[in-house]
Amino acid sequence: MLQMITIDLNGQQQPLTPGSTVIDLLAVIGSDGKSVAVVVNDCIIRPENRPSHLLQEGDRVELLIFAGGG
Amino acid sequence: MDSLQIGSYTFSSRLILGTGKFSNSTVMLDAVRASGAQLVTVALRRFNREQAEDDLFGPLSAIEGITLMPNTSGAATAAEAVRAAHIARELSGSLFIKVEIHPNPQHLMPDPIETYEACRILAQDGFLVMPYIAADPVLAKRLEEVGCASVMPLGSAIGSGQGLATSEMLNIIIRESGIPVIVDAGLRSPSEAAHAMEMGCEAVLVNSAVAAAGNPQAMAEAFAEAVAAGRKAFRAGLMQKSGFAVATSPLTSFLGTR
Amino acid sequence: MTTLPEWLSDNRDTTALAAMLSPASSQSIETLAAESRAITLRRFGRTMTLYAPLYLSNYCSSGCAYCGFASDRKTPRHRLEPDEIRRELAAMKKLGISDILLLTGERTAAADFDYLQRSVAIAAEEMQRVSVEAFPMSVNEYRALADCGCTGITIYQETYNRERYEALHRWGPKKDFIARLETPARALEGGIKSVGLGVLLGLSDPVQDALSLYRHVRHLGRRYWRAGMSVSFPRMRPQTGGYEPPFPVDDLLLARIIFAFRIALPDTELVLSTRESATFRDGMAGLGITRMSIESRTTVGGYCESENEESKEKTGKGQFEISDDRTAKEFCAALRRQNIEPVFKNWELSYNGPSSSITLATQPKKEEPCH
Repeated sequence: MLQMITIDLNGQQQPLTPGSTVIDLLAVIGSDGKSVAVVVNDCIIRPENRPSHLLQEGDRVELLIFAGGG
Repeated sequence: MDSLQIGSYTFSSRLILGTGKFSNSTVMLDAVRASGAQLVTVALRRFNREQAEDDLFGPLSAIEGITLMPNTSGAATAAEAVRAAHIARELSGSLFIKVEIHPNPQHLMPDPIETYEACRILAQDGFLVMPYIAADPVLAKRLEEVGCASVMPLGSAIGSGQGLATSEMLNIIIRESGIPVIVDAGLRSPSEAAHAMEMGCEAVLVNSAVAAAGNPQAMAEAFAEAVAAGRKAFRAGLMQKSGFAVATSPLTSFLGTR
Repeated sequence: MTTLPEWLSDNRDTTALAAMLSPASSQSIETLAAESRAITLRRFGRTMTLYAPLYLSNYCSSGCAYCGFASDRKTPRHRLEPDEIRRELAAMKKLGISDILLLTGERTAAADFDYLQRSVAIAAEEMQRVSVEAFPMSVNEYRALADCGCTGITIYQETYNRERYEALHRWGPKKDFIARLETPARALEGGIKSVGLGVLLGLSDPVQDALSLYRHVRHLGRRYWRAGMSVSFPRMRPQTGGYEPPFPVDDLLLARIIFAFRIALPDTELVLSTRESATFRDGMAGLGITRMSIESRTTVGGYCESENEESKEKTGKGQFEISDDRTAKEFCAALRRQNIEPVFKNWELSYNGPSSSITLATQPKKEEPCH
């Protein structure tokens, strides 16, 4: 059985298959990535880099959207 | 054409709308459209798959002529605000950032020191920095000095509906400012927005007053009309107030009879 | 021809002043006086700051049509040497003066920047506050002056009407309208803490000049928001055989202008010199004017009693019909009779030095000696 890796996604534990990229993560959680900002370990991952950016064990990932605010 | 000029952006509308506190995004989007606002604020929030419809980027961007102004709400320090600003710019492509740093969740008063520091950094990074501040005339000049695109002093506390409680300080800020002054927070009624424009503000930012209105769409329209009327009056040159004191004995007899 | 700066035609808050100065204004002089008085009382209290001018030199390179010191005039030229300056300062201090204005003509070889800088340093040893009314300087020169103890620069645009200005300033560096206009900004950029502006009333349409002067004050106030600002109202008096001002300003109009400025600029120091009569000065004290010169000598030097009669001649008195030649004692008594306190010292030497400002260009401070 494949050993899953665990990342911190928006403050919660999220298991992923090893070798997952950011694109894979977005698919897992059900985001089309179009209006989402991705920050991995305080680095912003641009859309063009998401297919190639590999996620590692323990990575802190934040996915942010625009919501209502004043 | 009397347009609002900020950086290289030109806006015909001087009403900026906040998108928070609406009952749902449909009501909010209708209000935005009704207001004619071309600049709207948004907040950064963590993506939540259970609330995917919260995402406003798509729907707002679809409205013609809209430019997003992300805010740094949630940040309690300059570092957090700077971080949020970069993420927001990445997401929206907009250069606008409303620097909003209020560490106290009760009154939501802005922290001047963290705000100044964040603005200093972000202005150097090429953002159009729009700081939300208390109506402090010296702070306003300091922020102008470090390169902010405008200053946004509060009329009264966020959501308090106390109107232009800071009008005396606002007058000083408006008089002394070399950059647009945009009253933000505390406005409750369109007449208050008109008054702010008559005083010489370049724009007003309204959120709670529209979101919490009985009919947000209609209220948004009313605000739009009030802002336009107030600006028109300002440009038309309001009559001077008289209220001059009269001395009991003549002061100018030394000038001789005329 | 260089284009005029935008601020010179900025009308964003000139409505009130324009209304007060308009010939069609319905506001009587009494009404304006009362409002001006009320504002002065609130903001400045019942005080009058006092200073005295010291002409260091009357050498001049310019050709101002209206001035007795123009380079083509026959007036004898003199400049004060350091020991003479010290004697003048001692005499002035005896009269109670601690706030002085050092004057020279336009830049000449005899009275150049180095001479001025040395003189400022000498004055700063004796006086609490040293201002300068001389020739336009560079930012670096102003910074050097500030380092030597100069805290104020007075520079009058004379008139903000470019055509009139160029006709009146016939030759010399003063002929450049824009360079003159930019001078107070350079002084503030160089760290001088306050500037004094003004027009020579009578040279051009006084109402237009007043509005331009107001715009200048507002523009500088927005840009150099830490700066002190003052406005003076020098008025050309008709001179027999001398220059006749084409737009003479009578007492009523001058008073109106001063009241309007007080109302439109509630926090700005308004200055009246001894060019004006005792009656006018006494009348305006408490109504809007907050700073006045006293014991003025408009000759080079002139305060030393030990000087001979010839050099004691007060050309001021001969040139103008009326002027206030009361002693400091007499003038202070007049002020006190009106319940106004004369203030000789409103500054502290330890505040001298350049203003700190984050907008200053990051040039290394030149460590030039003051003497």
